[in-house]
Amino acid sequence: MKKNRGFIVAFVTPCALSLIIMYLYPVLRTVIMSFFGIESVTASVSEWSFNGVANYVKIFGSPTFQRAMTNMLLIWLVGGIIVLAFALLFAVILTSGIRFKKFFRAAIYLPNIISAVALATMWIQYIYNQDYGLLNQFLGLFGLEGKNWLGTDMKFWAMLFAFCFGAVGYYMLIFISGIERIPADLYEAATIDGANKVQQFYSMTLPLLKSIFKTNITFWSVNCITFFLWSKMFAPVSTEAATIVPVVYLYDTVFGTTGNVSRDAGAGAAIGVTLAIFVAIIYFVMNKLLKDDDLEF
Amino acid sequence: MAKNKDKVVYKEKINWKREAALLPGYLLVLVWIIFTAIFLIWILGASLSTSKEIFTGSVFKFESGFHFENYINAWNSSNVSVFFMNSLLYSIVTCAVVILIAAPAAYVLSRYTFLGNKPIKTSLILAMSIPEVMIIMPIYSLTTQFQIRGRILLIILYIFIRVPFTTTYLLNFFASLSRSYEEAAAIDGCSPAKTFWQIMLPLVQPAIVTVTIFNFLSVWNEFFMALIFATSSDMTPVGVGLLQIVNSMKYTYDYGGLFAAVIIVFLPTFLLYIFLSEKIISGVTGGGVKG
Amino acid sequence: MKKKVLSVLLAAAMVMSLAACGSDGGGSSTSGDDSSSGGGEYDGVELTYWSMWTNTEPQGKVLQEAVDAWMAETGAKVTIEWKGRDIKNILASSLEANDKIDLFEDDYNRITHNLYKYVADLTDLADANGYADQSFQVFNDQAIAWVDEANEGSEGDGFLPCITEQPQAGGVFYNADIFADAGVEAPTTWAEMLDVCQKLKDAGYAPMALDSTYAPFFFGYHLARYIGQDTTATLAKEGGWSANPGVAQAADDMIEFVKAGYLVDGAPDEYPNSQNKMALGDPQAAMVVCANYVTAEVNNVATSNGADEDAALNWGLFNYPSVDGAAEGVDQTAAYAGANSIAITNYSENQEAAFDLATFITSGEYDQKMADTASQIPADPSNKAPESQNGTVEVLNAATSPLTWNMGLNENGDLMSSIQEIVVKLYEGEYATGADFAAALDALY
Repeated sequence: MKKNRGFIVAFVTPCALSLIIMYLYPVLRTVIMSFFGIESVTASVSEWSFNGVANYVKIFGSPTFQRAMTNMLLIWLVGGIIVLAFALLFAVILTSGIRFKKFFRAAIYLPNIISAVALATMWIQYIYNQDYGLLNQFLGLFGLEGKNWLGTDMKFWAMLFAFCFGAVGYYMLIFISGIERIPADLYEAATIDGANKVQQFYSMTLPLLKSIFKTNITFWSVNCITFFLWSKMFAPVSTEAATIVPVVYLYDTVFGTTGNVSRDAGAGAAIGVTLAIFVAIIYFVMNKLLKDDDLEF
Repeated sequence: MAKNKDKVVYKEKINWKREAALLPGYLLVLVWIIFTAIFLIWILGASLSTSKEIFTGSVFKFESGFHFENYINAWNSSNVSVFFMNSLLYSIVTCAVVILIAAPAAYVLSRYTFLGNKPIKTSLILAMSIPEVMIIMPIYSLTTQFQIRGRILLIILYIFIRVPFTTTYLLNFFASLSRSYEEAAAIDGCSPAKTFWQIMLPLVQPAIVTVTIFNFLSVWNEFFMALIFATSSDMTPVGVGLLQIVNSMKYTYDYGGLFAAVIIVFLPTFLLYIFLSEKIISGVTGGGVKG
Repeated sequence: MKKKVLSVLLAAAMVMSLAACGSDGGGSSTSGDDSSSGGGEYDGVELTYWSMWTNTEPQGKVLQEAVDAWMAETGAKVTIEWKGRDIKNILASSLEANDKIDLFEDDYNRITHNLYKYVADLTDLADANGYADQSFQVFNDQAIAWVDEANEGSEGDGFLPCITEQPQAGGVFYNADIFADAGVEAPTTWAEMLDVCQKLKDAGYAPMALDSTYAPFFFGYHLARYIGQDTTATLAKEGGWSANPGVAQAADDMIEFVKAGYLVDGAPDEYPNSQNKMALGDPQAAMVVCANYVTAEVNNVATSNGADEDAALNWGLFNYPSVDGAAEGVDQTAAYAGANSIAITNYSENQEAAFDLATFITSGEYDQKMADTASQIPADPSNKAPESQNGTVEVLNAATSPLTWNMGLNENGDLMSSIQEIVVKLYEGEYATGADFAAALDALY
């Protein structure tokens, strides 16, 4: 073993270094920064002034941050239900013995590989356009009146739906891989016992997919917490209240915006820490709620 | 939704009754896919139209003919060639270096017990779940302090970011290899390092290919880091580059060119996807289930 | 074995260093012209110029030409780094870190408020070179006043922090052909404005285009006519909108305006759909409240990016109308004026050369070229504004204390986006009365 030591160190060091440089040091520094008053993100430590929890008080007292958090929670809850429901539905359809399964699966996943900038541009310029947009044209076919989908009342939902459309494919793949791991003989046994398909779905497929649900919900949650690009695309000129999310708020706070020039890196760090705590809570809750070892198969 | 789930995993020969029962499923999937197709076709149509046609909703009429020059303009004058080459460089270099860092680490972590093995594995998984917003500020000040800038900066960041995922992904593949390879190599007097490079690494080649495709796509479409760290247009990759093009449309109004740029950016990933969709999908699910 | 690892690492390092070397490709470091070496005024001087444009935009192209010409003339070497619009996010940190920057471009509002600590005092250089004669005084005065204001508390008065590069003027831009067709003249009061709108509507036109992005600009103008920009700024920072009758009055005017159907169909729309209706709309829109760049943008659509020059609109500009019942002392003729300016870093070793370059770009031949190519107002008053900018120079010459972007509504950074949303809702017809609107704003605090 001893003669292996050098080799082990050599093999592991680059990986460990990248963890330290890219994660350990920055995370610690961000946590510390969140308790200090710091204007510029590049300010040296000597310019920091201890602030206690003032940064946290500041961000939680800000109506804009509250709005951003509300938007994030709405995306998480409503978007989560839509995305996971559609993903599960498609996963079940695709594993039900349908033909061209591989083609369908690839086609539904396709939006995930397109740059979100391109996707969002197309939703905004084409689908949601008031005058010639696909959605209003479609409504027109039924004699319904079109709507300004990007007005203040609908913009958030327009953004949410566009985002969900692109996301379904990814969660579907994970569901499919879960369903395919359920052994076929379980279903055969159930059929012999007289359980119909609907009963089988509720009493077998769903419970057996518990750990897959856990994976999907965790991924979705992290995805929502780090939601950024779609918000930026749906508010191209300046940040808008309807579509603001915490990461956009952080970006504006740390770097300043067009109309407002003040910057606050300390508050930015506090936002980052808050979001990271959210992620941690979700991992914790998911582990408690849905234990992997509930069911073995 | 349960209604559509009539047959589960039986593999039988085609019978029409069965297919009829699956009809709602077919319909739903088809509607979804047609919607996706309209997307792509509209972008394609828009990329061949003038701004005026796009803004009057007459994209598919091509009244003024096909404007292929949009592509030439986008490539040459909208900087797309620069963005494209940057993304290509970032993706390729990152993919290569990440494997050089992650594969040896994954090998050692999965096959040797040593002090710090478990903590490193745990940190890798933790690292994957840390939101980027937690790390960008210190990194930003570090890079300004040490005057690290230009393309090299983004390459380093991308490599570091992909290491935890790649290492964790490869861990299980190395763990599943038989011990007998190493034993045989040791009898032949082969050093552990040599055993790794010449025998073990080639054995996990399929996993390396999958994870590399996945890394390639993530780096290609990466946005947030690039937005913050790509501080001039010569180091901007396609994601942020497209945003810049979208924003500068305000001034130049070349929407045809914008969508041509979208197609140019989309094409490499699309081609990769057509030929390698199975690999990509297995990469997603593999990474997903284990992550 | 170590050798193998080493060689791989070396190869990787080489790829990286190649990558780093390659970064000149998209940039524009152009070495000084050989022919000029030896005779030039600034031989051996090297300048780094951070531009807010990209090299694909018309402004960027003209800038490159101007810099090339200046290098040929003086023998200096200038490296332009195209930072694009996001320059605003990186400037402060880069200047703080004393990055290699001699000149940079940004909004003069930001230069004077945020970056004044890092820029050179150009007063003496300006005096020595007669800069006052080749620039609009309004911007110089405003910049000095702002720096003075920002400097309060520390010693030193205001100083000239930047050179105006691209002036902007705001007001009501209109299609003069439509006005002629409907037989109306540019209004000067809000009552006349409503009358003009009605006549335009009767003649089959849509009076006013409005994209939600510019809703706060439109309303900010109107509110500033009643209560003035400074009061708006105070309200934005501290609240108390309902207590000021001018707010409800201005909002009521807008509610009436919207109810009368004077906005084009679908307004307030997503930028740029509504303003495009000045070029493509059916019915065509006649007016828009915006800054001068709107004319170039709409012309680009109308002419299919210059393919059909004759389709360009016949533009006119009138100052935002005055209102009845304004608070005492409010300037009823104030207009929006802003500028992108060039500043020189206070740590630059070649401030004189940098100043020479900045004035070379912003006056004479290349300033004219910039104005013509990008359809904007020339920085040098002795140059001629292109046709699409009719009336803008008069606005700038008449302006003494210009209004800022959104006239104080942006003053509260934290609430800015929420205030904007409520203003857009005002135009969407969400509020029955101006008092409701004021109450909605107060609910934010």
